[in-house]
Amino acid sequence: MKKVLLAALMTIVVLGLNAQTFKTRDGNIYFNPNKNQSNKEYSALSKEATAVLNADKSEVALLVPMKSFHFNNALLEEHFNENYLHTNKYPNGTYKGKLIGFDKSMLAKDGEYKLSSEGTVDMHGAQKPFKSPVTLKVKGGVATFVCNFTIKAEDHNIEIPDLVKPKLSEATPLDATISFKMN
Amino acid sequence: MKRILLISIVGLFLSGSISAQDDLLADLVKEDSSTVKQNITIATFKSTRVINMHSVEMTGEGNLQFMIIHHFGEIWDNSEGGANFARLLGMNSGFANTYMSFDYTPVRWMNLGLAWSGNTSMEGTAKFKWMRQQSGQKNYPLSIASVHVAHLDASEKLDTPNDLYWNRMSFLNQLLIARKFSEAISAQLVPSWVHYNIVPYGNQDLHDIFSVGIGGRVKLSAKQALTFEYSRQLNGYENVIDKSGEIVSYSPNLFSLGYDWDTGGHIFQFFLTNSAYASNIHQLSVNTVKDNLGQWSLGFNLNRSYAIKHKVQTK
Repeated sequence: MKKVLLAALMTIVVLGLNAQTFKTRDGNIYFNPNKNQSNKEYSALSKEATAVLNADKSEVALLVPMKSFHFNNALLEEHFNENYLHTNKYPNGTYKGKLIGFDKSMLAKDGEYKLSSEGTVDMHGAQKPFKSPVTLKVKGGVATFVCNFTIKAEDHNIEIPDLVKPKLSEATPLDATISFKMN
Repeated sequence: MKRILLISIVGLFLSGSISAQDDLLADLVKEDSSTVKQNITIATFKSTRVINMHSVEMTGEGNLQFMIIHHFGEIWDNSEGGANFARLLGMNSGFANTYMSFDYTPVRWMNLGLAWSGNTSMEGTAKFKWMRQQSGQKNYPLSIASVHVAHLDASEKLDTPNDLYWNRMSFLNQLLIARKFSEAISAQLVPSWVHYNIVPYGNQDLHDIFSVGIGGRVKLSAKQALTFEYSRQLNGYENVIDKSGEIVSYSPNLFSLGYDWDTGGHIFQFFLTNSAYASNIHQLSVNTVKDNLGQWSLGFNLNRSYAIKHKVQTK
């Protein structure tokens, strides 16, 4: 009886160790909501996104504290927090999804791979299905996922006043760069 | 038997931790919520001014702010009679005082500014942030800043031996102690010290004038707020001698009511105040407006900031 239990336990432990997960704490997410992308007043960047990759299941999850977005214009940062994203009430933006076309053997070999990801973005209290191409670059033990995507403010119940609307893109383009060190 | 129980409990724990790993996101959320963060309070006030007086807020790092503070004429002049309707509460009176300034924040804790401060005077300002209200890793209940102003009366030079520019200077040192009590309510305590290098006609040899003020804000919505400020002069307002040699009594009070409106790009602050002067130094030391509400004036602050230093770079 004991032996059976022990064996069961061991398999569970071994299984657990085998699950290949990678974690990072310094993912970068950049965006500029302005229609005119060369207007850098609106440029914002977070360097504090955390992400996990489960290589066996081709699953990813990402969490970014909304207050970690810093804008070139401090007043816009204040508006972002206070008026638009209500970051005291909704402190995090998250993503959970699958990597399509991903195989863990890619991580073992340097190269560039075209993938896509499908999942759910949860931001400002609203969930929205997400689908976008993703590029994976593997080099020297670092796997970097780069994703250029767009998010619509209205999909996440973010109210933009009419006065401000003409200045902003209908769908905000974002760039996410998430690197995992594999050793 | 005991051992089996122990092993199965350990096993349960392990399988538990594995299934937790299964939900990658839950794992991240759990980790995020278990880390203690530094929650720095932002937007104690909408603008760098409560109304006339400085607020504890500072222009953002790497940002340049342009500000106009405009005081119209007195809202009701008894000597004008019916013409007061044409004067439109002082807005059409032909009298106004304007303060225009540029200020820049090279590093997060320091702001430097230059202003045309009305009545042919100019000012240089320096503002320092000493403490930011925050919770989490550190708990600071208050935000503390200080303002230092050097004021120069730049009007046409008189032919008197004493009229050196050095003697035309005056200074203001102010401490700003603020707390954001809730999303809507903020308050600030403002002790001030005005120093005149030379006091016109003796002024009882009074070079230093002290006052204590309070300021506050109540938010009506995300973009609108009501504000007020009150400052009380502690000395040098009764029976002082002014420039023309007359004995005058100034009003020791500075009182203003305001309405903040944030349009998304600009911040407008409309106000009613009992001082026509544009400079804080005059408002806090030689305010001539007494209890007569007709002598109060309407005005507005308008400011806009520009990102000069681009901290965030694109690829």
